[in-house]
Amino acid sequence: MVEAFAVASGKGGTGKTTSTLALGMALAEDHDVTVVDADTGMANLLFHAGLNDATVTLHDLLVEGADATVDDAVYDRFGMRVVPCGTSLAAFQAADPERLRDVVATLAADADVLLLDSPAALGSKSAVLPVVLADRTVVVLQPTIPALSDGLKVQEYARSYGTETAGTLFNRVRDDGGIDRVIDRAERYFGGETLGVVPESDDARSARAAGEPLLAHAPDSPASRAFREAASRLSVRDGASGTVADRFRSAVVPDDV
Amino acid sequence: MKIPDGDLLRSRVVGDLGVTLATALERRLTGYAVVEPQDAVLLGDETRGVITFTEGVPVLAYCTTSDRGGADALEDVRGPGPYSVDLYELDRSALAAAHEADGLRVSPGLPAERLTDDRDLVTRTRDAAPEDRLGGDDTDAVESFLDDESQIEAIREQAREEARTRAEEWGLTDALEES
Repeated sequence: MVEAFAVASGKGGTGKTTSTLALGMALAEDHDVTVVDADTGMANLLFHAGLNDATVTLHDLLVEGADATVDDAVYDRFGMRVVPCGTSLAAFQAADPERLRDVVATLAADADVLLLDSPAALGSKSAVLPVVLADRTVVVLQPTIPALSDGLKVQEYARSYGTETAGTLFNRVRDDGGIDRVIDRAERYFGGETLGVVPESDDARSARAAGEPLLAHAPDSPASRAFREAASRLSVRDGASGTVADRFRSAVVPDDV
Repeated sequence: MKIPDGDLLRSRVVGDLGVTLATALERRLTGYAVVEPQDAVLLGDETRGVITFTEGVPVLAYCTTSDRGGADALEDVRGPGPYSVDLYELDRSALAAAHEADGLRVSPGLPAERLTDDRDLVTRTRDAAPEDRLGGDDTDAVESFLDDESQIEAIREQAREEARTRAEEWGLTDALEES
């Protein structure tokens, strides 16, 4: 079985990459999890996962005529399979986003859960592809007007492609907010359930600096506990991996960016 | 922090501090709880925390061992359990002086959020809290934004249209859901 989730937010700074790796590590306790940095234009997952020195990344798989295999770009880290993306602008420009579907289809064969760390943007084909290809989205929000507004937009984009919202995650929440009153109202508009409320945490910053996912760096911090609880609310649906792979391969994606 | 002695209501060992917080909430307790992680008792360590309540809603948290307050105190007290807990009743006026210590204050739902896995208890606590203890101006603005259904619908409609227009630009029309 495999289900692909796009971890998305319309706005940067919501802690999407931290969330992706945290959900991935928590889900990896019961599932085979593969995490892909699908933010090919602003990749940063490699820094969070201590893969700064990765020799082969997703970029190498997206370039026409590349001789790297998907396996070359997969790194076993923190109980997950991690596919980082490089940060070179030239490599991004040379990359053919169409190839992402083949890469994801190949990865689907060996995973229960695929998490696609998606770009905090909707302005290009490569930015939108993760929500086009995923089964469902996890929308990462903050209790602010810009974050909620952009979260609504990314949800509508995803729904336009038949990708429903699995749930929302309120991240970087400060102590003094009336978060429950915000959640009560937000739930009217967002699909799925509110998976969790993750407090703002210095641990997330120090984890990033240490090149470790939050759950590895500070497993007992309130933020880590909240992420684990959120992951436990995310019920993974059974999908035959062959079906998912076929769906990715047959997604209609022409080659001009 | 100095709190006058209250009347001991109950003294027991609990596996989950949610029990204590729920008890205080249900009794609409004005008073305080003294919490000692049981492992600290066994090890002879003296980690001890105090959480005060007004009508069942937490007001401040303080850890006597680390001398830290607020969210930090909750972090210091939190452990795998069990905890030894004494619950005291005390007059609101007797708590007033202590409750002026802003640095020790917690938002109403924070103890339940940090010390339990019980979202429902967080919600019930916030529901019981007086309006002036919930949120600030930012929250009010966010609430107003979300209450304006026509504005939200306009954002969604615009996003749907944009998604379709761009799908044509990017040749993704075939991947669009029929509508």
